[in-house]
Amino acid sequence: MPPMMPGTPGSKGGPGNRHAALLTREKPKNIKRTLGKLLRYIGRSKYLFFALLAVMLTITVLNLLAPMIQQIAIDCITPSESRSGIDKSKLTETLILLAAVYGVSALMTYLQGIFSAKLSQITVRTMRRDLFESLVHLPIKYIDSHSHGDLMSRMTNDVENISTTVSQSIGSLISGVLTVLGTFVIMLTYSPLLTLISLSTIFLTVFVSSKMTKYMKKFFVEQQVILGRINGHVEEMVTGYRTVVAYSKEQDAINDFRSMSDELRRTGIKAQICGGMMGPLMNCISNFGFVLIAAFGGWFSIQGWITVGTIQAFILYSKQFSRPINEIANQYANIQTAIAGAERIFEVMEAEREPLGGSKPFSADNVKGDISFKDIDFSYVPEKQVLSGLDLWVKQGQKIAIVGATGSGKTTIVNLLTRFYDVDRGTITIDGTDITEIPVSELRRSIAIVLQDTVLFSGTIGDNIRYGRSDATDEQVKAAADKAYADEFIERLPDKYDTVLTEGGSNLSQGQRQLLSIARAVLADPKILILDEATSSVDTRTEMHIQSAMVALMKNRTSLIIAHRLSTIRDADKIVVIDRGRVAEAGSHEELIALRGSYYKLYQTQFAGSKT
Amino acid sequence: MKLARYLRPYLLFALLTPLTMIGEVLVDLLQPKLLSQIVDDGVLPQNMEVIIHTGIIMLLTIIIGGACGVGSSAFSGMASQGFARDLRNDVFDKVMRLSFQQTDRFTTGSLVTRLTADITAIQQLVDFSLRMLVRNLMFLIGGVFMMMQLNVRFGLVIAISLPIEVLIVVVIMKFANPLYTIVAGRLDNVNSVMQENVTGARVVKAYVREEHETERFDGANGALMTANLKVMKLVALLQPLLMIIMNAAVIMVIYIGGLQVEAADLKVGEVMAAVTYVTQILHGIMMLSMMFQSISRASASAKRLNEVLETEPAVADGAGADCTEKGTVEFRNVTFRYPRSGGRPVLSGIDLKIHSGESLAILGATGSGKSSLVNLIPRFYDAVEGEVYVDGENVRNYKLDELRSRIGVVLQKSELFSATAAENIAWGDKNADKAQITAAAEIAQADEFISAMPDGYDTRIAEKGASLSGGQKQRMSIARAVLKRPEILIFDDSTSALDLRTEATLRQRLRESLAGTTVITIAQRIASVKDCDRIAVLDHGRLVGCAPHDELMKTCEVYQDIYRSQVKGGEG
Repeated sequence: MPPMMPGTPGSKGGPGNRHAALLTREKPKNIKRTLGKLLRYIGRSKYLFFALLAVMLTITVLNLLAPMIQQIAIDCITPSESRSGIDKSKLTETLILLAAVYGVSALMTYLQGIFSAKLSQITVRTMRRDLFESLVHLPIKYIDSHSHGDLMSRMTNDVENISTTVSQSIGSLISGVLTVLGTFVIMLTYSPLLTLISLSTIFLTVFVSSKMTKYMKKFFVEQQVILGRINGHVEEMVTGYRTVVAYSKEQDAINDFRSMSDELRRTGIKAQICGGMMGPLMNCISNFGFVLIAAFGGWFSIQGWITVGTIQAFILYSKQFSRPINEIANQYANIQTAIAGAERIFEVMEAEREPLGGSKPFSADNVKGDISFKDIDFSYVPEKQVLSGLDLWVKQGQKIAIVGATGSGKTTIVNLLTRFYDVDRGTITIDGTDITEIPVSELRRSIAIVLQDTVLFSGTIGDNIRYGRSDATDEQVKAAADKAYADEFIERLPDKYDTVLTEGGSNLSQGQRQLLSIARAVLADPKILILDEATSSVDTRTEMHIQSAMVALMKNRTSLIIAHRLSTIRDADKIVVIDRGRVAEAGSHEELIALRGSYYKLYQTQFAGSKT
Repeated sequence: MKLARYLRPYLLFALLTPLTMIGEVLVDLLQPKLLSQIVDDGVLPQNMEVIIHTGIIMLLTIIIGGACGVGSSAFSGMASQGFARDLRNDVFDKVMRLSFQQTDRFTTGSLVTRLTADITAIQQLVDFSLRMLVRNLMFLIGGVFMMMQLNVRFGLVIAISLPIEVLIVVVIMKFANPLYTIVAGRLDNVNSVMQENVTGARVVKAYVREEHETERFDGANGALMTANLKVMKLVALLQPLLMIIMNAAVIMVIYIGGLQVEAADLKVGEVMAAVTYVTQILHGIMMLSMMFQSISRASASAKRLNEVLETEPAVADGAGADCTEKGTVEFRNVTFRYPRSGGRPVLSGIDLKIHSGESLAILGATGSGKSSLVNLIPRFYDAVEGEVYVDGENVRNYKLDELRSRIGVVLQKSELFSATAAENIAWGDKNADKAQITAAAEIAQADEFISAMPDGYDTRIAEKGASLSGGQKQRMSIARAVLKRPEILIFDDSTSALDLRTEATLRQRLRESLAGTTVITIAQRIASVKDCDRIAVLDHGRLVGCAPHDELMKTCEVYQDIYRSQVKGGEG
């Protein structure tokens, strides 16, 4: 099928992502290795692949046969000295044969479509699955240090590219090569001289098309870059629309947009003219070949070297010849893109997985909840020390409030305890066991986290609450929601617990989302609880409710709270003030107030004037 | 189609495209005829002169045809790209005039797609139609015409095969189109599971749900494959079926041609030409079938664009205002409910006058209407009943720019833009110099961390400030508002991510530097606002109290409730 479809069906994903893939596409670093791995994926459906190959081989042979048979048919009706009129019986015979060849060829083409669809879909599915499997096992460090947009682009655009390449390019590449070879041989057997003449136009075709492709690519890349910029501009102006409006910057935004829009138009025209020249030029060359064959063929047939049917056959063959050559040139570029994409995919797959942790037996169900941080050093990037020599103890069932200035390292403590990151120096223990010695999964099962940014998953509200305990009954889910004061608003929703969340819960308010993530933690019911500023954007009255729920929840649980609310902090058993990567002060509210240190200052500034 | 009007300015180019195209097609159609001349008048009678003569004519026509082809693609490029630009600009203009609930309804992602992918789809369709539709139609009609000229009986072959081909295309497309929609939906599912796992990786890991997520993905992935295979299998039918019809027609032509040659009605070269024409005609049909696919896709895009273009901005400019006061805000019996939400109003019967230079706090539970109330001041939304006055003039009378230039708003969710730190702050005042920017940042407690960034104030803020903490973003947007020096400054819970100490210092500095500015602060914590001149307490959309802290402590029950919840025992 001519590659005319504007975009493969279902290929989505912003043009911005596409351009990122495009800019880096030029040269895959290690073609051989990547290609080998890619082929191994395709090789998983070995039989399908060979069936496809066989079918394509048949099609090629049949396509080569057809003009030969046509030529015989034409010769049958060409007047000649040896007979009067036409050779009717031979004509009928030949045409029946031709019909058979066409029929089989059509059938094979159908099979080719089916096989290549299956091959590409199965390959891509396996690849996607493997990629996803690697993704969920990537360390947080990897995800934090890579642009999410880039990761997504690998999973969507790059995979999609491979899919189209497998289903289209590989097929046309193979059949192209076969056709060219076959045609060449047949043409030679007919007339070496005419073959030579048609070859000359083919060289011209290849030369011109490769030159043009280079130019087109340049404009195409340019176009994608501008499109990417427009994409970014629109996204920014729309997400920041409130600010744009508040500062009356609409006109500026429009002006910026217009200049980009016009730039896109100009590049688009250039790209289109350049692309538009391709067709007519190729047409010219092929028609030129047409004339050459007709003229020389005519002359040769006058000389009696060839028959008229041969001329007809040659015209068909020369068309068959130049088309696959163009196609091979095009496919080459596609395949290169796909390989570059595959390289990026394999890069993710081969990235080091998150370690499973130690093998020391440890069960989340039997955790008591004593936590200690001993002499911890940590930095995300070398030289920028976040924690240095931090010591921290939390006893079973204690509530600890961690306070400190922004950037003092509060969140890092959470990252280390859950082993999202590992310490540079020092040890963290739970119930006296070094957390690096136990399985990561058991470690995490013993901890529930309510994060600053609420993360919800597509699915129903019930699914989301059940996230930490998939076997919970509806009653348990409801009870947990009730405890987290989420039941009330959920019951008011049209589908209650079966309400489907869209776009990660964008149909809920920030406060509601937070209540849900608290309910999730409640249901998971672990021995250790971490609240990372979770209550900061729930309003005071709701927070009041949550706090009473939390008091109940925190009972018999070790709780680490990173909070900004003094009311939360004051209820803690121990307050830990983090300053410049170490514990500056620790103790109860009263103790710290009496100490008159940095906590006292903090308290004073916040409640200045509220003292009696 | 309503979007057709965007083509009007480029009508000349749009018309030139098919005109030049005719040249190209005519040449293409002429070729088989010339070829048959070479065979019948040159090769068979062994006349070399005719061969060379006709050959030269062929070459000349080819060059003309090529030039026409290039011309037509250039013209169509000018027409379609101009069309796309104008359309794009209009859509973006419209987006920039919509009100919040309107942009919210469209969602950012969909607006981006509409302005890029959808417009590209339509642009391609315009380009395609100008060139391909015309070209293929001409091939069809011209091919039929030329064949009839060769021999009327060939018309029979066309008359039979053409409708069959069209029917095949129509039927397959009819079944395939809904399948494409399903595929797109399932691809969305696959992508969203991926997206969730990238952004929510911490939660997935914290709850040890890797296996569950893999299973969930596998389900979505498998469903996508099934849908894809279904549509691909269906579409795989198209080509072989069309080929069968086309090749059957070729066989018929040769057979009928053979009989004609025997009857001496036809020459061999003419049969050969007829074969070429049949191929051309039926190839044209195939191309047209491709076009139908892109038409159906583009029409979906057109629908989405029309949706934006036809949305009337909910908030429009007033005639211009005559202000009698400076820095005052007054709500007169204001009732507000969000459009479409139905049900009970978010605000009802609010009467409140805010004086020039006053600092007023608004306190209340989530959903009590705090943000909605301040959103009415810069006309982010319009009151359903009652009036809002700014500087003694109804806000509806102002031109929007005029009104909003008096008001500074710091939003709960800070929005930064890809520009340098200095440029982001300078949003507040285009003409601000470096010293003014630094001063504003200093007041907002942002100077320290901005200066510590690699390039200081010239550091580029990437990805909407993804590299900054929530508190840093908030401080930068406060700096931006401070620099604007508005008469009325609104803080919509915009210090929530700051730690206590920073917030206190910030408040202190703001108080000092904003003397004379009317400041409206929405807050959750009583401690943040108890020093304000007055505190307005909202409860379920009603104003239940507005007085200084001490007075509210005596008179307002809701306020006492909140106070107790926050400060109980705090005096110890």
